[in-house]
Amino acid sequence: MQKRGNPFVYNVKSRMKLCGLLCLLAPLCIGAQLFYLQTFKHEEFTSKAERAIYNFLDEDRLRGKIYDTNGKFLAESVRTHSCGISKRYVKDKKKTLDFLAQTLGLSRRDIERKWQRNKNFFFVAKKIKPDVYMNLLPVLRTSLGQGLDLTPEYERVHPYGDSAIDILGAANSKNLGLSGIELMFNSELSQEISRRRVKRARKGELIYDRSLKEERSVGSIYLTLDILAQYYAEEALAKAVKDYEPEHGLIIVQQPQTGRILAAASYPRKDGQSLPFQFTYEPGSTFKTIAIASALDAGVVSINDPIDMSGRKWEIARGVVVRDNQHDKDALTIPEIMAVSSNIGAGKIALELGAKNLFYYITAFGFGTKTDINFSGESKGYVPPYTKWTVVDTATKGYGYGISLTPIQLIGAYSAIANGGYLMQPHLVDRIEYADGRVQKKAQTRRIRRIIKPETVQTMKKVLEHVVKEGSGKKAQIKGYSVAGKTGTAEKLSKEGGYAKRHHVVSFCGFTPIDDPQFTILVVLDNPAKYTFGGTAAAPVFKEVAEGLLAMQAIPPDRPEELQQSAKKN
Amino acid sequence: MRLFGIVFVGSIFAFGVAMMRIEINRSGREIGQLQNEVEIKRARNQYLELEVIRLQSPQTVREMAQERLNLRRTPPQNIVILED
Repeated sequence: MQKRGNPFVYNVKSRMKLCGLLCLLAPLCIGAQLFYLQTFKHEEFTSKAERAIYNFLDEDRLRGKIYDTNGKFLAESVRTHSCGISKRYVKDKKKTLDFLAQTLGLSRRDIERKWQRNKNFFFVAKKIKPDVYMNLLPVLRTSLGQGLDLTPEYERVHPYGDSAIDILGAANSKNLGLSGIELMFNSELSQEISRRRVKRARKGELIYDRSLKEERSVGSIYLTLDILAQYYAEEALAKAVKDYEPEHGLIIVQQPQTGRILAAASYPRKDGQSLPFQFTYEPGSTFKTIAIASALDAGVVSINDPIDMSGRKWEIARGVVVRDNQHDKDALTIPEIMAVSSNIGAGKIALELGAKNLFYYITAFGFGTKTDINFSGESKGYVPPYTKWTVVDTATKGYGYGISLTPIQLIGAYSAIANGGYLMQPHLVDRIEYADGRVQKKAQTRRIRRIIKPETVQTMKKVLEHVVKEGSGKKAQIKGYSVAGKTGTAEKLSKEGGYAKRHHVVSFCGFTPIDDPQFTILVVLDNPAKYTFGGTAAAPVFKEVAEGLLAMQAIPPDRPEELQQSAKKN
Repeated sequence: MRLFGIVFVGSIFAFGVAMMRIEINRSGREIGQLQNEVEIKRARNQYLELEVIRLQSPQTVREMAQERLNLRRTPPQNIVILED
């Protein structure tokens, strides 16, 4: 019997095919969509998934340590946490705040005040130490901890307190350098950041995935500073500040043979503001050493030439008169000029040398240019071109006026006299050691140039020794050791014009022992509240620092006969 | 029967893979927690080391020597160097 109607409807095979096709349609659509997503939207979805699942943890931004020359570490980053509250997620405000106050050791009222002041999120405490963090951690996954957020951060710690903090500078909680060495060498200290890519679970817990860890290395900086020398300098400076109440004060210690800076202390002490490199001043009499060494080296005077002092008054030009009130002689030799710190003598010798030659020596000693020690904010001082000097300018430069310099420049010049006549490249950073074993040497001993002849050096050493033995620098004497140096008491420029009689910069610069100098030390006290002089205020500070350093390096006395004599007297 | 077998083996395999993934995630989480603890303990140690260094610093030593033992810093000329 033949079936009536549409043959397709009654054909089972056709109907099965249709059903099959209908069933396949959905997977085909899904397949097509998948193909589209995989092919054309691949990157977009991959990055979305990456963002949702993976995290690059900022808390692993490592930062290298800073060490002194003996490997004692001066700055290191320690992992801490900050605790914040998202108000809207807190279930039981009273319980949560009570818990935080008790665990963090904070006042409940303070936390409450922050709660009132902030709309939603606020930090309750920062720099939470590991012990406290361990107490907070278990609570995070309970209802008490809902709304609490513990964010990892770093604390830059200094085991020696604020010693050398002016040089080290500061780094923030994200381990980024803000000032001083931390800023100058930020890229080296955190150049190769260890960043860890981790998976996050649904509740935000981290899932460790070894294959995704990216290890990198950071550099550690070794300074030329010796923390013990730094301590002696800071201790002596603190004492001087207490006694004389200066506006600013600084001490810098250099090894004359290598140019390495052993200590650099500043008052006031602020991170990243190191006065030995940034402070500029008119040096006054400590600069006579430079003018006289230059004149001796050029051969325009010799050590025993008598310089006319008649009347202890000298009119350089009309209306410009220089007086010496500290002696009553009509003629002085160079050692006597330096011993009594005669402005007339130094001025006349500078004129004898001439503006052009003096300028040549001043620049050869390194004044007027940066030292390349590369400390941020280092000043270059100011030496006007000699073509603009008048006779008065030339004479006054002989005793340290009309020129501005930095302590690091002056100590470099004295170190040149100490080490036989060479201007050395000063160094503050010895080397950088990277975690992968690379070592980048920074403090290569380098002679920049020879400035004065060895004969001049020997003469100047005698002259400077005479200053300490018989002259204005007597208070720098150290029993059993030879000391060479020069005092300085410079009037400061007044706001009204000219020089202020009651505002001074007092200083002393010298080195010891004379035959084999180990340390050059410069002490500067700017504008002491109590009226004083370089010989009375700065020279004893030099002595105190030098005694500490000599003991530190166990340097035996080079004048043992002095000790025997004093023992006999006693 | 054959089809059922294939489906059964496939399901077992899929279940195994799923369990493995869960186990990997669980151990990963545990390792993450342990790592965190290690870092915390390391930070704790750092603080202790810092305290040791602080106690050895010239300032602390001088203060203690002065206060407890009434010692003073000796001038360099009083130091006797013994040679072998």
